Amino acid sequence: MVKVIVNGKEVEVSEGSVVLDAIKKTGYSVPTLCFFKGVYNEAACRMCLVELPNGKLVPSCAYPVSDGLKITTDSERLRKTRRMVLELILAVHKMKCYQCARKGGFCLLLDFAKEFGVEGIPVCAECPLHGEDCLLVKGEPCLGFLTVAGCGSPCTREGTPCFGCRGPVTREDVIESAVKRFIEHGVDLRDLHSRMKLFWSSFPQFKHVFDLVLKYEKKYMGEKK
Amino acid sequence: MTWNLMDKCCDKCWHTLEYPCRNYIRCRIEGPLCHDDPDCRRKREYRIREILYGKTGFKIKVPMASCTIAAGAQEVYKAVLDEVKSRGINADVTISGCMGMCYMDPWIELSKTGMPSAIYANVKPGQVSKIISEYLGGDVSSAYALRNHTGKAKGEDKVPLLEELPQWKNQVRWVSRNCGIVNPESIEEYIALGGYRGLDKALKMKPEEIIEIIKKAGLRGRGGAGFPTWLKWKIAREQPGDVKYVIMNADEGDPGAFMNRLLAESDPHRVLEGLIIAAYTIGASKGFIFVRAEKPLMAERLSKAVEQARKYGLLGKNILGRGFDFDVEVILSAGAFVCGEETALIAAIEGRTRPRQRPPYPATKGLWGKPTIINNVETLAHVATIMAEGWEKFASMGTEKTKGTKMFCVTGAVQRTGAYEVPVGTTIKKLVEEIAGGPGEGRRIKAVQIGGPSGGCVPASLLTTPIDYETLQKAGAIMGSGGIVVIDDKSCMVDVAKFFTSFTVAESCGKCFPCRIGMKILYDTLTRITEGKGREEDLEILRELGEIVRSASLCALGGTAPNPVLSTLRYFEDEYLAHVRDKKCPAKVCRNLVEYWINPEKCIGCGTCKQNCPSNAISGEPGKKHVIDVSKCIRCGQCFIVCPVGAVEKR
Amino acid sequence: MQTATLLQLKHGQTKLVDLKEVVSFVRSIVECYGGKRQYLMRMMQEIQKHYGYLPREALEELSKQTGIPLVDVLNIATFYHQFTLEPPGYYIIWVCMGTACHLKGNADNYDILKNILGLDNHSKTTKDGLFSLEKARCFGACSLAPVIMITSRDGSERYLHGHVDPLGLRKIVAKYRSKAIKKIKEKKGGRK
Repeated sequence: MVKVIVNGKEVEVSEGSVVLDAIKKTGYSVPTLCFFKGVYNEAACRMCLVELPNGKLVPSCAYPVSDGLKITTDSERLRKTRRMVLELILAVHKMKCYQCARKGGFCLLLDFAKEFGVEGIPVCAECPLHGEDCLLVKGEPCLGFLTVAGCGSPCTREGTPCFGCRGPVTREDVIESAVKRFIEHGVDLRDLHSRMKLFWSSFPQFKHVFDLVLKYEKKYMGEKK
Repeated sequence: MTWNLMDKCCDKCWHTLEYPCRNYIRCRIEGPLCHDDPDCRRKREYRIREILYGKTGFKIKVPMASCTIAAGAQEVYKAVLDEVKSRGINADVTISGCMGMCYMDPWIELSKTGMPSAIYANVKPGQVSKIISEYLGGDVSSAYALRNHTGKAKGEDKVPLLEELPQWKNQVRWVSRNCGIVNPESIEEYIALGGYRGLDKALKMKPEEIIEIIKKAGLRGRGGAGFPTWLKWKIAREQPGDVKYVIMNADEGDPGAFMNRLLAESDPHRVLEGLIIAAYTIGASKGFIFVRAEKPLMAERLSKAVEQARKYGLLGKNILGRGFDFDVEVILSAGAFVCGEETALIAAIEGRTRPRQRPPYPATKGLWGKPTIINNVETLAHVATIMAEGWEKFASMGTEKTKGTKMFCVTGAVQRTGAYEVPVGTTIKKLVEEIAGGPGEGRRIKAVQIGGPSGGCVPASLLTTPIDYETLQKAGAIMGSGGIVVIDDKSCMVDVAKFFTSFTVAESCGKCFPCRIGMKILYDTLTRITEGKGREEDLEILRELGEIVRSASLCALGGTAPNPVLSTLRYFEDEYLAHVRDKKCPAKVCRNLVEYWINPEKCIGCGTCKQNCPSNAISGEPGKKHVIDVSKCIRCGQCFIVCPVGAVEKR
Repeated sequence: MQTATLLQLKHGQTKLVDLKEVVSFVRSIVECYGGKRQYLMRMMQEIQKHYGYLPREALEELSKQTGIPLVDVLNIATFYHQFTLEPPGYYIIWVCMGTACHLKGNADNYDILKNILGLDNHSKTTKDGLFSLEKARCFGACSLAPVIMITSRDGSERYLHGHVDPLGLRKIVAKYRSKAIKKIKEKKGGRK
């Protein structure tokens, strides 16, 4: 058995285990994305970073314990780093939540995005409506694809199309694919515009979202014709 | 077949591969030790003289390393052979390695008894005949440098001695002592020059004693991180189990660094000797040499050295009768920059890809889970030299924290590019200006990039910094493998940062997010800035993201990849600001930020630019001055490239 | 013989590899190296040396005979720069992207070469199969920067050109184009 000190709390774990085990034993938690005990511990996602006394950041899922090891699981720097890493991951994530198998639950990315306050995941990720039930497929002007998640999608659960009260996802590729889908499913664009204006028009920082929507509408309407 | 120095002198010598003599190496030079026979002694002394000065008394040396071959050494070698044959000159034509002074490639060295040994620089095949007849006529006035003075040859006083040249005088040739002198393909010559003595000494010691010597010498890994070599060896030695491995890291991938290639091509036996000593110290019986695929000659030379060493019992079973078995395998990498990283290198040998998280360090858990030490070519060459020459001399050089010498490759805007060996702690200024000759008339050094894609840029104001692991780190760069690229005022620092970032983006293995995505975003941001679309917030993004990538990445590649960006941002923020605020590139490098115009004084009206312009922005009649319409110009730079008289200028 | 067949290949067609020959060739390599995972990279280097690239068929065969999953074989094939899954041109032009070469304008030279050879962003080999354009890491010939190296597909010819300038590139390409055409004709003639 070796003694590890997690945030000042001493804990004994068996030799050969990793820092994450010690952290779990003390009751603290660190976010993990790629770690899957016994299957994958390649330390690729870098969400589980913890800080050593010398200022080094190491992944807790792969760092072996040693006697008297002191680690910190939470600090300003760690939070910033994790948040940034999450932002990086989301920056290349495809955001096709409407066709994702995890739709409506257990999306770790969504949970972390909520926890760290990273915007960029649309309401669709939380919405439990699938396939034929999707309001968009029914032709209703649901803004779920464009709106920042985190509300728990109470409206779409009840069958009311999303109003976008949480503001839009401002990423260009998300907007493009959203507009593409709106047009594919024959949503009434005027209805859509009025819905978007309802909550977003009073914020000047969302103006470029409108511009982008109009730009891609033009593009895909043209293609359709 | 002539008698070989490695062979038996007479039947009294009982050395065989099965039952090797313990004094085999010493016996090769100091004459027969087990029996006293003046004939044998004479035979040996005569052979050593023959190796060093040639059979005929006239030796012509042509360097054969990648750099000299690229500059045309093969043609020169052929010309020398033809010349010697056609004129019936009695001469030994041999090859040697590279001296490290690449600006004078290809060079040849002529030495005849009674004449000073003369080096001729930048030789063209056509000049060979003239050089040889001049030299044989007793005239050395057209030589570049002389190794010694005899006072007999004509024009001797006009030619400087090699050791008086600033680029030679300021060097300490410790590990590169044989480079350019020894024939890299001959073990005999290496031994005649005192080679394998270190191994001989080491095998008579206990491994702990060797570790102690290396510790006293204060040798730190020359691959970049500067980890104490003795500590690495000690950890590996203390691991339980009898299967251990040693690996020579010859996967030198930093652009602008070629000292490992030079050492392994010019003096391969020295690095091999170091590897054998390392294996003996930690108790490994199997070693690997991992060579970069882009450097085939290095692999060839190392394989040849391994073969020769095996032939004479320096590899294999019961080496020198000490009951120590060791063999080496040369592996050719398939080309990935990340393989220079220890764990990725191990993965490549195992037939996998990508690095893994450290710890466990390879010294405790490496190749196939066994303790493994991985040492850089230069480190191993140092080990061999320290064992042969003693640690005292090595420890007397260098700074307090880092002892000894280090080879640096100075390239870019200097007059004398090449690889130079200086004591650690020499200032950058001395290295760049005195040894490498500075940037030349009318040009100004703006910055010095040290350490390749993981290093940083040191501005001209900090050129007096002594080169050491710690001082460089403080200045925002790293020693790395020792590539120094001198950047003059013709280069744009944002472009330099972008170049290194593009390198790491392409070479990132893609395993961890900070490196894979973070570097891509850094690159995209830099591209935006060089295209004139940058905003001032971008600089903050660069800084913040760079810090995150540096601290959160998995391996050393990602951990150092943002260094070029961060260091240029630190010292050259004004250039970044000129790009984002004024949309101007001060060095006129970034295509989208310069304006092309045709200088009417130079234009000859050939119309080439007009034909090549993709946007029809150039107008003008044949034979008359052409003009670029700035509003139509897309700044592709084609006209600048194609103009035969250089009339298209940037402003 | 094999190189001659490949020369007639148009870009993207890889079916012309003789399957029987592949099986026997891969078998000989696997026997030589004992089919060990440790030697996977070297076996693939042998295949690449033989064909000039890694034909899909050979990789599948390699996986079948050694028992190493195809995904691992492809992992290595795509990770390391030396391996290519497409047949390269007769001559491969390597543009050095080292620091010294970059500072002296090799990035521009790359674009110019692309222009001269008529390549777009997605292709590396010219339509006639004579040239491939590749970016290379440092050759260690920094004193000659900017440098381009031209190698033949089978690796038997290697030429290094130092101090290249935009105007000289056209001449170099023209020289090697006529050289390649001549050699291909010779080989074809030899076969008949």
